[in-house]
Amino acid sequence: MARAREGVSPSVIIAAAGLVLVVAVPFLFIILQAIFPELGRGSLAAPFSALAGALGDPKLIGMTGNTLLLGVLVVALSALIAVPLAVARALFKVPGAVIWDVLFLIPFMIPPYIAVLGWIMTLQPRGYLEQLVGFNLATFLFSVPGIVFVMTLNSFPVVYFAVSRTLETVGSRYADVGRVFGASPARAFWRITLPLSTPGLAASLLLVFAMAIEEYGTPAALGGRAGFEVLVTAIDLRVSDWPIDLPGAAILSLVLVVLSFGAFVLQRWILTRRSYEATTGKPQDSAKRDLGVWKLPVVAGFALVAFVATGLPLLAILASALSRTISGGLVWSNLGFSNFSAILGDSTGALKALGTSLSLGVAAALVTGLLGALSAYAVVKSKVRGRGVLDVLTILPNALPGIVVAVGLILAWNQPWLPVTPYNTSLILLLAYCCILLPQPVRYATAAFHQIGDNLEAAARVFGASPMVAFRRILLPLIAPSLLAAMLLVFAVATRELVASVVVAPVGVSTISTYIWRQFEQGSVGLGMAMAFVTILITTALPLIALSLMGRRGNLL
Amino acid sequence: MLKFTLRAGVAATALFGAGAALADVTVYTAGPAKLIEDLAAGFTAETGVAVEVFQATTGKVMARIEAEAANPVVDVLISASWDTATDFAERGWLVPYTSPNAEMVPDFLKTETAVAQGVSALAIAWNPNSGTPKPTDWADLAKPEYKDLVNLPDPAQSGSAFELVAALSGTEGMGLFDDLAANGAIVAGANAEALNPVLQGAKAAVFGAVDYISMAGAAKGETIEVIFPESGTVIAPRPVMILNWSQNQDEAKQFVDYILSDAGQAMVAKTFLMPARSDIAADRPLIADLNILPVDAEAVYAKRAETLDAFATTFAK
Repeated sequence: MARAREGVSPSVIIAAAGLVLVVAVPFLFIILQAIFPELGRGSLAAPFSALAGALGDPKLIGMTGNTLLLGVLVVALSALIAVPLAVARALFKVPGAVIWDVLFLIPFMIPPYIAVLGWIMTLQPRGYLEQLVGFNLATFLFSVPGIVFVMTLNSFPVVYFAVSRTLETVGSRYADVGRVFGASPARAFWRITLPLSTPGLAASLLLVFAMAIEEYGTPAALGGRAGFEVLVTAIDLRVSDWPIDLPGAAILSLVLVVLSFGAFVLQRWILTRRSYEATTGKPQDSAKRDLGVWKLPVVAGFALVAFVATGLPLLAILASALSRTISGGLVWSNLGFSNFSAILGDSTGALKALGTSLSLGVAAALVTGLLGALSAYAVVKSKVRGRGVLDVLTILPNALPGIVVAVGLILAWNQPWLPVTPYNTSLILLLAYCCILLPQPVRYATAAFHQIGDNLEAAARVFGASPMVAFRRILLPLIAPSLLAAMLLVFAVATRELVASVVVAPVGVSTISTYIWRQFEQGSVGLGMAMAFVTILITTALPLIALSLMGRRGNLL
Repeated sequence: MLKFTLRAGVAATALFGAGAALADVTVYTAGPAKLIEDLAAGFTAETGVAVEVFQATTGKVMARIEAEAANPVVDVLISASWDTATDFAERGWLVPYTSPNAEMVPDFLKTETAVAQGVSALAIAWNPNSGTPKPTDWADLAKPEYKDLVNLPDPAQSGSAFELVAALSGTEGMGLFDDLAANGAIVAGANAEALNPVLQGAKAAVFGAVDYISMAGAAKGETIEVIFPESGTVIAPRPVMILNWSQNQDEAKQFVDYILSDAGQAMVAKTFLMPARSDIAADRPLIADLNILPVDAEAVYAKRAETLDAFATTFAK
């Protein structure tokens, strides 16, 4: 009762209002659509009539199993690749650390549908690999291990950045205490340093899992031939095959949400079992150790991962973008800059699409960054009742396929009785991106807040700071590295989001991804790839320039 | 940071305001993008009426219309599947309109509520550099020379591919498809996904490629040849419809007239689609040159789920 009278901090109110607008509204309409099949026509007739059909699908259990398998395998392989790299990056002096960071950022900037097309064109029979060295890996690519491989290369950076940043915050101070008391270096790492970085690890693995079960492009492109059907491909078929089955798609999406929610509960359970506070206000020695004899193997490991995850896809994209014709192959006479000049000449509307997507990306990063920080604060640091609900709202969209978010947004914002609506303006794209991407900043910021001792905020309040001032001056700067990294990812993904954009884009508006997709649909692969290459360059360079202008230290990124 | 957010917000609002202007005619259309851009620009230049376009695949266009059903905004719909026109007419969603320019459109390409914009046909798209003999008929692709080298578009994702499967299996059962599957042919996503491996040479031919996309590729210099099988193929007329909820029916009718005008049909021909009007020349084989398989749409679509199941079972072996 004392709490209630004290009043709720404004940051919590803003967080709650933002979450309702961005997440709860579209999600509510997806649930309503699942219950009322005629919702799209404004009728509430025949409730629950679609449930039996969708859940009674004999293929449902197999697809759910495949979805889970895919999620778990991608999480495991991502952790296997990213955690050792992150540990080396956080605790040791890795030569060229900043360069590796940039190179590991790029896989995240490569749209998944582009990456998978790049891999197909490289590994299929008579693909680039066979043209250069005489053999192909098609059997591997079009199989479940192939799908896991391609998806892992897209998602391991999430784990790498989260774990290396958390480990950096933990530093080696606590392990040193362990060493003083006689622990071996390995023991100190396994028993002290790694457990203290659990928030970052758990949060990022949860993100990867949710991303993997929600991803459409890769399983659709590679899984079809392997007979590997997942929930998302079934959902997409229901949404695009006439007669459109929106209720069925909504119901299958709720199955995905349940899966992701299970992973979320597991992660929360891990995080709340104990305290992970490592930032207590005491000065921290951030000196890193020398690698010694391990220098060469570690650098080789970084180089190998960077080459496979970043180098190969970029080269494949560049090769297609420079080819005049796909059938001409990799011969000098077939290479040229005609696709790039078509984009820069803007005979095709490419520059306008770039401008639209880049502004939407910046806006989405700012909105989700602010909302993410406030929501994470409300969940971790405030004692507001119902903060569990807020936490659930922040994870929901992670499991929602983009196309279902798009349908939910249309259902919600195209109601005839609304006096004003963002629908059919670019604002609806911003809402879609914010909804889909909000989990990123929230997860990163939550992990960061878990590491900050409560006494820091309390000290500020004792010295007369208002809750907002304490949040802005004390807490926000402390979580800034994690939050900025997440906002960067939001920017990157929002500028190339495809699945929701295709359906929800206002009339007459092209985004980068819908532009590329149209080129592919019409058989102009080279033009689409050239646009993708330009986009990857811009989305990688812009955040780096912005960060260096803001005077961040080199170790943020 | 807050200040930065505010400033960005102001900039963003300015940006979004521009997109909110009310359009005079709103057109939802399946590809190709270039065609609708040209048609819209030409129409606006001639009439002064602005055209706002949403372009995606037929499936995504339909998903949007379905989700918008409570408050629809589309005036004119151009689908890549004639089935849409039949289905929408049954639902009573279409405005009856016969354009004065539709006189030269053959009867089977128009109804009271729909008229074709252009027509595509399905064909074999074959890569001459694939080291395989040039196929002349569907059954050739089940021969050992094409083992593991044939792609089929997924009939569940492509309306025209479905009609081809229905037409070919209607007369002789699934025999041909059993042979194809036994010969290592695979089902490879929608139309574009099936074509790409053939261009690069991973596969030799697409069984049932959409002709105009391959022809446009060949015109750009891709090594790809479009072969219309001797035993016949199916065509996919692309219906233009005016929706009955449209607030701009007069402008919508003007737009349909423009699509069927000499200028509009010339734009259609330029994309290597067959023009709907029989009096417009095009640099490609026209309907009269093709052997067209009969498709009883009503019967075929009534059995759609069965046909797709049988097809999927054949290729799942």
